[in-house]
Amino acid sequence: MNSRLLAPLGVTIGLFMIAPLLVMLLFAFSSSSLLKLPIEGLTLHWFAALTETQGFYPSLVNSLLIALTVGAASTVIGTLAAFGLTAGRHRLRNVSMPVLVLPLLVPPLVLGIVFLSYFSGLGFRLGLHTTIIAQTVTLQPIVILILASRLAGFDWATVDSARDLGAAPWRIFIDIIFPIIRPTILGAALIVMALSLDDFIITIFTIGGENTLPTLLWGMMRKGVDPRMNACAFILVSLTLLMGGLALRLTRTRN
Amino acid sequence: MTTDTAKTSLGLALPALGLNAFLFILPLGYFFVVSFLQVKAYQIALSPTFGNYARALREYPDALLSTLGLAFIVAILVTLLGLAYALACRFLKESWGNLLLAIALITLFGGYLAKLYAWRTILGGNGIVNSGLMELGLIGEPITALLYNDFAVILALTHYTLPLAILPIYGALKAVDDLPIAAARDLGASGWRVFCDIVLPQCAQGLFSAFALTLLFVAGDAIAPRLLGGTSSTMIGVFIQNQFGFRVNAPLGSALAFTMIAGSALILIAVAFLGNRALRPRSAL
Repeated sequence: MNSRLLAPLGVTIGLFMIAPLLVMLLFAFSSSSLLKLPIEGLTLHWFAALTETQGFYPSLVNSLLIALTVGAASTVIGTLAAFGLTAGRHRLRNVSMPVLVLPLLVPPLVLGIVFLSYFSGLGFRLGLHTTIIAQTVTLQPIVILILASRLAGFDWATVDSARDLGAAPWRIFIDIIFPIIRPTILGAALIVMALSLDDFIITIFTIGGENTLPTLLWGMMRKGVDPRMNACAFILVSLTLLMGGLALRLTRTRN
Repeated sequence: MTTDTAKTSLGLALPALGLNAFLFILPLGYFFVVSFLQVKAYQIALSPTFGNYARALREYPDALLSTLGLAFIVAILVTLLGLAYALACRFLKESWGNLLLAIALITLFGGYLAKLYAWRTILGGNGIVNSGLMELGLIGEPITALLYNDFAVILALTHYTLPLAILPIYGALKAVDDLPIAAARDLGASGWRVFCDIVLPQCAQGLFSAFALTLLFVAGDAIAPRLLGGTSSTMIGVFIQNQFGFRVNAPLGSALAFTMIAGSALILIAVAFLGNRALRPRSAL
């Protein structure tokens, strides 16, 4: 391939993707409340102001609580499903997989509204629990996809020989399968947690009167430009990046 | 594999299938049924009608068409940029390729609201572009035309969906074998010929996934037009959302949503058909 054309193209597109984020992260530390370059001085003032904002800590706690619960639930359910669908070669597999992955193809706005009208139709009170349910349904396909692609390359010969030697199924899982795919499971869990932390559209429809960091940020955004939002975005992006980065490290060591 | 283990393994998938059936398929089905009902005196009445779809097509044709048009533009842009970027990740020297891939993966986790907000700070009246240009003395007044229009929406949504779209294309390119490429080059094929005849047909699936993901996301987005779009150009997502807010007309809202999805599906079918014809491997003379 022509690298004289590809290199500048790749670098330009890469800058387009990352520069806006870097600028925003930088402004979280700018001492001026005007968003202009060059930056006059550095400060942590906006972070302090953010923590004094009403509802900041509850939102942070809610965000983490939802991310942990959704991460755990969708990882367990999704991993089991990936096993069920890859280990057994039954006919249902070809039907189950597309159905399980379908939530990924529906626009988030439609998902949010679908959940909202369903929950309120059933008379559910909206809150953290409804958000957790909605996010688990929409994010478990990601776990299934990641695990299924890992298991597709899995060497079942070890499992077969263990079984031939008389090992019980749960022993096989704990001693052989789990240690091998543990990094992938952890990676999938972290990716789901990152996406859960970042989720805004489904959350705002299903959470009722509560707040998470993204909905708090949304509330501030509607009131205009305020440097506290840069600090809030900084925290949000750092958390998701941390989880995403860890996840990529974990899943890559195996592939 | 015995039938016994097949049964157990299907049992493992039951929680996921149950969750999917009762909390996704059922709600979606309910939502679909609602689109054929009507609202009477703020209550949903059980009298089936196609009226909501007729109303969606009669009252919102501009919003539907302009939304699908905008989604199509963004999807084309993102697929082309994604292809160029994925090619760079795959075919540049390894250290460069990995660096570019890392950037794509980092920005994937950059946050949806944070990205939209970043564009508002960049393009806004007091934003970086304007204050930079004023500092340089190129303009006297801030250019207000940068924000609150389709341009800003297209820019921000392209920026948001690009990292997502790069992954399937890169995945497809990674599977392309180096050997046939080298062989074609040895036989005198130009870089362009190699690209068209060997690389492109093999990543068609990845390109289509990228296009489909982007199209569906943009067609259903209601936040970017609210934050960055103008008042004249409202995307269908905003109207859909309104039917569930102060308008309280869930049947019309769900009819709008399904009309939008059907429109996107039509575009996808057309693109798949044309793409198939264009990318069919050429027979050797």
